[in-house]
Amino acid sequence: MIEVKNVQKKFKKQISKKEEIEFYAVNDISFKADSGKIIGILGPNGAGKTTLLRMTAGIMVPTEGSISYDNLNFKNNEIEIKKNLAYLSGNTKIYESISAYELLKMCCEYYDYPGEKIEGRIKEIAKSLELESFLHNKIANLSTGQTQRVNIARCLIHDPKYYILDESTSGLDIISSQIILDFIKNERDKGKTILYSTHYMEEAENICDYVIMINKGTIIKEGTPKEIKDFTKTTNLRDAFFKLIGGLKNEK
Amino acid sequence: MKNKIINILKKELREVFRDKKSLAMMFIIPIMIPLIVLGMSALFESQMNSDNTVYNKIGFAYNLSSKEEELIKSLEIDKTLGTKEELEDSLKKGDIYLYITKENNKYTLNYNMSSETGGYASNIANSFLESYKRLLQNEYLLNNNLNPDEVLNIFEISENDIASESFFANYIITYAFLFIIMAITVSATYPATDSTAGEKERGTLETLLTFPIKSRDIIVGKLLSVTISSIITGILSLILALISFKIANNMFTIYETLPITISISSIIFSIFVIIVYSFFISGLCIAIASLSKTFKEAQSALTPLTFISLFPGMIAFMVGIKSSILMSIIPFLNFTLVLNDVCVGIFNYNQIFLMFISTIIYISLIIWYIIKQYKSEKVLFSI
Repeated sequence: MIEVKNVQKKFKKQISKKEEIEFYAVNDISFKADSGKIIGILGPNGAGKTTLLRMTAGIMVPTEGSISYDNLNFKNNEIEIKKNLAYLSGNTKIYESISAYELLKMCCEYYDYPGEKIEGRIKEIAKSLELESFLHNKIANLSTGQTQRVNIARCLIHDPKYYILDESTSGLDIISSQIILDFIKNERDKGKTILYSTHYMEEAENICDYVIMINKGTIIKEGTPKEIKDFTKTTNLRDAFFKLIGGLKNEK
Repeated sequence: MKNKIINILKKELREVFRDKKSLAMMFIIPIMIPLIVLGMSALFESQMNSDNTVYNKIGFAYNLSSKEEELIKSLEIDKTLGTKEELEDSLKKGDIYLYITKENNKYTLNYNMSSETGGYASNIANSFLESYKRLLQNEYLLNNNLNPDEVLNIFEISENDIASESFFANYIITYAFLFIIMAITVSATYPATDSTAGEKERGTLETLLTFPIKSRDIIVGKLLSVTISSIITGILSLILALISFKIANNMFTIYETLPITISISSIIFSIFVIIVYSFFISGLCIAIASLSKTFKEAQSALTPLTFISLFPGMIAFMVGIKSSILMSIIPFLNFTLVLNDVCVGIFNYNQIFLMFISTIIYISLIIWYIIKQYKSEKVLFSI
């Protein structure tokens, strides 16, 4: 289980040469993510989703609050947590000068995967994600969809318990997006814990078991998609979101 | 060595050896060394052996005595006679390098002091006038029944120039080793930039940070890969420098008084200095480049380092600074001075030890600084 407790992230922003202001990108967010569930983190661009997930993935440190994985925290158990974690974001890039095979082998080594089992694991992943035809091609020469499949393979290779996926379908075509969504559902069915952030409300509605809506760094509503729709008396999460923030005018 | 450091090292080396620019920096720069050593040797040799008769075109704006004519002949001066105006014109055209005017008993040498040819010609003209003065003095003393030797040569001055030839050789050796230091610096900048700012710009740093690897291991792995590529450049440069000196030693007489010692211990100590310097400069390059947001920004930030690595050694040579205890702890300067010493067979173990210890301290501080940078979100995510 992933437990995020009263997490805050404060940044400083330079507004002029002499003046800087402090602001909270994430302000007092708490939630729990159980295994076998897809938890959607929904919100518009700039809501604080990426900062929240970067903190959850241990690549940023919260200003306040705590994050734990089965009662382990990053301060004392960083390596242990990261061994069971996969992070994939729309901004995450992979090494383009190497082949998909080399990348997967490198990842196995980073995750201390037993040496004698590496070849078998790569074959297994390549088969399930249909990477075989371009496994030994340089990543720079792959199409966007193929690259994203390699990226997914990178996340799967060490069979993690937790997935943190930040806008991972952003900018992808419908086929590439569907590959990722299928992969997420499969992993959920295997009992993995998945944190999934997106600003595509329809996408979230389709795959998330539980939704946390955030705006301007704070949670505005959480619950199952049905609970949120019932609460806001709307038929979809998009309308629910606008109702919760008081309409588009308030945002402007 | 820890597995994770080896994993990062493997990844970084793979990128270095697959990148054409990194390879070019690593292998092409050392090729400049033989060109510098042999080219400069040939240049200095030609200057050393240049025939003075090249600069002997001297004009005389007065009537020469028979004694002066004899002296001109014996000194092989290519004389031109004419009026002051005519000779001035010839000087401007380059037909002569100097002309002498005479008014009563005063001789004036007219030449362009800023030109090399004028300088050489003035030496010849001075020599001519000194000889002529001595001739007249001898004649006068003999006519007055005095022994010229007793009057004019009360004491003798003799010059024993032991350094004139080795100066050039020393100059070339120093510059060759300075170039090795510079080659190592240049070779470190590209992979250091690529593995820090480049990785940040390409977006792969975020991926790397999600792996179960400590920041310290990432940095040590990156440092080792940049150091290895610098060491390759350094050793290649050293080999080419030693081969070039061996060839130059046999080809040019300027090395006669300063034969280059290529003993096994010289080579071992030189490699040791190269390794220590490679660690130092690689750490420094990574520290600077990791602060930059983009590859281009990092390259701009690292450009001055190439010159900084060169200047202390150059200035030390120009003002005649030799290796000493104090110099052994001054970064950049210590490497050049020690490298220079060990290559000519001078092994000052105290200074080598001090250079080593001080560099370890500098490297430790640099690594500590980089680790701090890799924990700073401001640096990692440019926020």
